[in-house]
Amino acid sequence: MSGTVRRRLYWAIQWRRNEGLGALGIVLLAAAVLYAVLFPGIFGAGALNKFVQGWFPTALVAAAETIVMLTGGIDLAVGPMVSLGSVVAASTMQSPLGTAGGVLATLALGIGVGSFVGWVVAVARYPAIIVTLAMSFVIRGVALLILPRPGGFVPHGLSDLLAGNRPVTALLLVLLVLAWKLYQATPLGLGLVAAGDNAEGAYRSGVGVTASRISAYAASGMLQALAGLYVAAQTGSGDPLIGEPLTLAAIAAAVLGGVSFLGGQGTLRGALAGSLLMSILINVMFFLRLPLVAQYVVQGAIIVVTVALPRLRAAARRPV
Amino acid sequence: MRAFALPMALRGFGRSLVAYGVVALLWIVASALIEGFGVFAHLRYIVELAAIIGLVGVGQTLAVIGGGIDLSVSAVITVAAIVLPMLSFAGDATGLGAIALTLLVAAAIGAVNGLGIGYLGLPPLIMTLAMATILQGLLVLIAGGSAVSVDNPALNWLGNTHVLGISATILLWAIVAAATLFWLHGTRAGALIYAIGTNPLTSLLSGVRVARVTLGLYVASGLCSGVAGLLLLAMNGQGYVGIGDPYLLSSIAAVVLGGTSILGGAGSYVGTIAGAVLLVTMTALITVVNASEGWRQVILGCLILGLLPLSGRDQSR
Repeated sequence: MSGTVRRRLYWAIQWRRNEGLGALGIVLLAAAVLYAVLFPGIFGAGALNKFVQGWFPTALVAAAETIVMLTGGIDLAVGPMVSLGSVVAASTMQSPLGTAGGVLATLALGIGVGSFVGWVVAVARYPAIIVTLAMSFVIRGVALLILPRPGGFVPHGLSDLLAGNRPVTALLLVLLVLAWKLYQATPLGLGLVAAGDNAEGAYRSGVGVTASRISAYAASGMLQALAGLYVAAQTGSGDPLIGEPLTLAAIAAAVLGGVSFLGGQGTLRGALAGSLLMSILINVMFFLRLPLVAQYVVQGAIIVVTVALPRLRAAARRPV
Repeated sequence: MRAFALPMALRGFGRSLVAYGVVALLWIVASALIEGFGVFAHLRYIVELAAIIGLVGVGQTLAVIGGGIDLSVSAVITVAAIVLPMLSFAGDATGLGAIALTLLVAAAIGAVNGLGIGYLGLPPLIMTLAMATILQGLLVLIAGGSAVSVDNPALNWLGNTHVLGISATILLWAIVAAATLFWLHGTRAGALIYAIGTNPLTSLLSGVRVARVTLGLYVASGLCSGVAGLLLLAMNGQGYVGIGDPYLLSSIAAVVLGGTSILGGAGSYVGTIAGAVLLVTMTALITVVNASEGWRQVILGCLILGLLPLSGRDQSR
């Protein structure tokens, strides 16, 4: 194949891959422009850094939810898991485990809980929606038992590192995307989307569907715990209920990004773009001096419109 | 049609018998061990509290049997509780006018859900989730953070009357439950709900107006959530934003505990009734034991997980 043909083919493929994200991209651009107009200071390094720090938890949970949804499942326990992560992080850092031990313990907790849920869904084969609904109760309860009220301790060093003046968060985001790309190149990662798209076909093609699913939930759990750790570093303490709004935000971001409930469809970059859009909108509404709750109305409306539009277009195109 | 509906009903009943069994067991054991638990007034109170969950559970059961779910029930409850005082008008001596208007609003919300899910093909999870989100935002914008008191004669009567020792609340639930069971198991429309829950495509190809049935059941869900909201208002005396929040998860839990499969197409409201009573009983027991909110959540979650085998496994593989 000649150089020009290969180049054209490459771009054609890239275009097809990102076709679904076109509308989201345009809306995102418009929102970003609006934001810049309302708050020109956003282009300053400090303000930009703060924005990314505000965006990061939502981005993480959006990624976590996407990974699970790609396998055809769903996770309704995202919020409580983030809370538990923050609670565990804030509780273990003063113990003999120290800061590093606390971080590892939190991430291990995320992986452990995620693996359990993954096992129940993939091996025992109970519907993810009910399993994660029940788990949301259990996780919330455990978080409340560990820390009935916000408290605990996060060392200043960690807070400064993660939520301070250095662009560590942006770096973490880049690492997230890279890790996802790497993961997709592994058998487990490849199997993830395959299992969500066509579990039967994947199984018969030799894909380890069960292992892919369990590892998906485990990875998701780890990201959620990481989000909890991050929030604890941001606020300096653990809070057993801090993550509650994140469940909805995660699902909304994933849906915006084109992730389908049926599995096998959607991209991480789409979900991240969706979460970015929501973050920008929240900030824009703040600058427009709209009441904070207006964001919920906007969020809900966005979800409906985003999902309904393709169907309306398909319906219009269909010969009656 | 009646013969056709019976076998399905029996299958659903089988699972819900377990829930009734657990409730009976708990009641007997608790009455023996805890003083005052088995007193008629206390048990009646449990059933009264269960009535709210049970009413919300009607809509949730219908939605789940139909293959979907309704995540907007808590928002509709709150809407009903907050909007009633706003819809009260002079010349409405009995208060029934305001109630009718409020229920109309609740049904309208359900209709929007049904239109989106049935006609636009939006996944029920998304549509009802988005609806709940929008409503929550609107509610705060409309009502702010303050509680709204109500003085509606009909509601006052409902909240305080006892007929032959049984609360009007429980009677209302009994009537709605009977109507629901008749609709589900005794009418063609009810059988169609099972049909679309089992296999929407086959139903569509068999001539079932899937969109219409879907619309109908979400309207019913909105309506029942509205009734539940009004009942809650009657029992509490005032409504506030967030009053309906606990009932979303409770309604789903009641449906699951009652043995209705979350995948749709099987189960019955009979089970949800038991599920609602079971939930309230568990809460009462946990309160008596003075367990903290944390333990309550853990036990509730483990309960649902433990009773999952009743709810049905994912058939797809």
